[in-house]
Amino acid sequence: MRPILLQGHERSLTQIKFNREGDLLFSASKDHVINVWFTDNGERLGTYDGHNGTVWTIDVDSQSRFLVSGSADNLMKLWSVQTGKCLFTWEFNTAVKRVAFSETDDQVVCVTEQRMGFQGAIWIFDINREGDGTQQSKEPASMFHPVGSKATLCAFAHTPGMILTGHESGKVALFDAKTGEEVHTNERAHLDVVTDLQLASDRSYFITSSKDKTARLHDTRTLLVLKTYTTETPLNSAAIAPGKPYVLLGGGQEAMSVTTTSLRQGKFETRFWHKLFEEEIGRVKGHFGPINTIAVSPKGDCYASGGEDGFVRVHHFDESYFKARPYGDLEIED
Amino acid sequence: MASAATQKTSWADDVDELEQPNKGEDFVDENGIRTTIEYTLNDEGKKITRKIKRVLQKEIVDHTVAEHKSWTKFGQEKGSKPGPDRATTTVGENVWLKLSAGNKSSEPEPSAEQTMKNNLVRAGAGKVVCRLCKGDHFTAKCPYKDSLPGLEGTDTPPFGADDTGTPAEPAAAAPATGGKYVPPSMRGARGPGESMGRPGGSRDDLPTLRVTNISEDTQENDLRDLFSRFGRVARVYVGRDRETGAGKGFAFVSFESKADAQLAMEKVHGKGYDNLILSVQWSQPREQR
Repeated sequence: MRPILLQGHERSLTQIKFNREGDLLFSASKDHVINVWFTDNGERLGTYDGHNGTVWTIDVDSQSRFLVSGSADNLMKLWSVQTGKCLFTWEFNTAVKRVAFSETDDQVVCVTEQRMGFQGAIWIFDINREGDGTQQSKEPASMFHPVGSKATLCAFAHTPGMILTGHESGKVALFDAKTGEEVHTNERAHLDVVTDLQLASDRSYFITSSKDKTARLHDTRTLLVLKTYTTETPLNSAAIAPGKPYVLLGGGQEAMSVTTTSLRQGKFETRFWHKLFEEEIGRVKGHFGPINTIAVSPKGDCYASGGEDGFVRVHHFDESYFKARPYGDLEIED
Repeated sequence: MASAATQKTSWADDVDELEQPNKGEDFVDENGIRTTIEYTLNDEGKKITRKIKRVLQKEIVDHTVAEHKSWTKFGQEKGSKPGPDRATTTVGENVWLKLSAGNKSSEPEPSAEQTMKNNLVRAGAGKVVCRLCKGDHFTAKCPYKDSLPGLEGTDTPPFGADDTGTPAEPAAAAPATGGKYVPPSMRGARGPGESMGRPGGSRDDLPTLRVTNISEDTQENDLRDLFSRFGRVARVYVGRDRETGAGKGFAFVSFESKADAQLAMEKVHGKGYDNLILSVQWSQPREQR
């Protein structure tokens, strides 16, 4: 397959996200810019300018109407996807490291960093979808400080009242949004900071990647570890491919191969693993720097990866991907 | 005569007329593939033909997706025309995603040597066979390089015989394990310089030819290849300028056998190599230089 290279950023990518239809790809980067692209041909639709610091995180709602972003300038902004206008801004004391829409698009959860005396916190805001979207409440619907290790990631769990969190220590926890109490926790989910957390399409399980060189699949309700994928490099991102029993992992490079001759094409790879058999089944090279973020289109027909090199590479799978049966003809119902 | 003069035109003018069919073409064939042919001149005045084939792809998408396509561009893309901008969007090189069970863990990328061998086989050069032991590796990479008989069936015994090599090694090993450090020159029954177990003697015992009038670019390997047809070449030294590394026009080639050296001298002396006539003589012994 021929990847489409999107060169809209001058610095490394922090997060990329597909919208629900899979035809738009949003990319956030350390260069303060958020770009939106058409996935079919890589054409850039526009940019969302306004942040004064690294944009750490973005999320789009299921209607592709609102975009929410969190940045190192201590702001969380709500944008209109179509016009690029910033509709609302929330201010915090520290940088916003992760934002996520709820399944029903009427709530947003974000996690702010712990820094300089300010405790790390998880905030949940109601989103008023009426009108043009500029009427939003400055006050959160609820807020709490997760106990213990600093929270780096968050997402809504299977029910809107529950928040999934990933922590610096490798802990994965489930919090009640209203009370802020820790309902479930898995302290040893990972041995090092959790770098990415992505839910499956039905939210019944999710994948986490960590600097401890592993990625794990967990059950959302119980936080039970379902599968573990062990690699030789610290991982920065993990995603679940819909429609096929594969997961995609991306990260740095094996220490041994760092000094290999550099080609026109980069040597950093996205790895494909079989979700159930926990074995690596393929790799896609191309990035010139560690891969920071991976996203798969909800339709399962293409995936994109964003790297430290500032490139986003969009790959449309070809016939061979869909026809491949690496472990024989066993059909797995999703 | 007069009529011929009026008709005379410069042939150069005629050529100019044929030079550029600047008319491009644009047609659609029966498969619906639209081909555009353009002719342009590049910097050197050479004619360049560009054929662009376009296939129109029709896709049925969700209503919302179609709607997204109708949005106007904003932010830094404001005012841009429809279609991808080459500054931001390019197509990368083809990458293969080969999905197979237990892929990368067992088979790391073929080593450089393996890929070279594969390339040769594909180019039709036949399998790689070592001249010494007939294994499927390059002769230079033969693990038995030192011990197997010389190339091309020349069966001259290794110069100096093997016995000088072997007893020297255990002698050196003893003082090393004895505890105190012994510098190489005082190590024992061995000639000057270190020994790497080279078959035959060391630098001074080998029959050496002095080759002069070699070109500046001639390298050690070139001479090695040139002289190897006469016998095993033990050593090649190309005289080089200290600073620039360019050749100074002379070299010393040492063979393992005197007969080989003699033959080489007779055959190469006066022969051309890289546009210069080589001169080959016996090299003078060190003391006299």
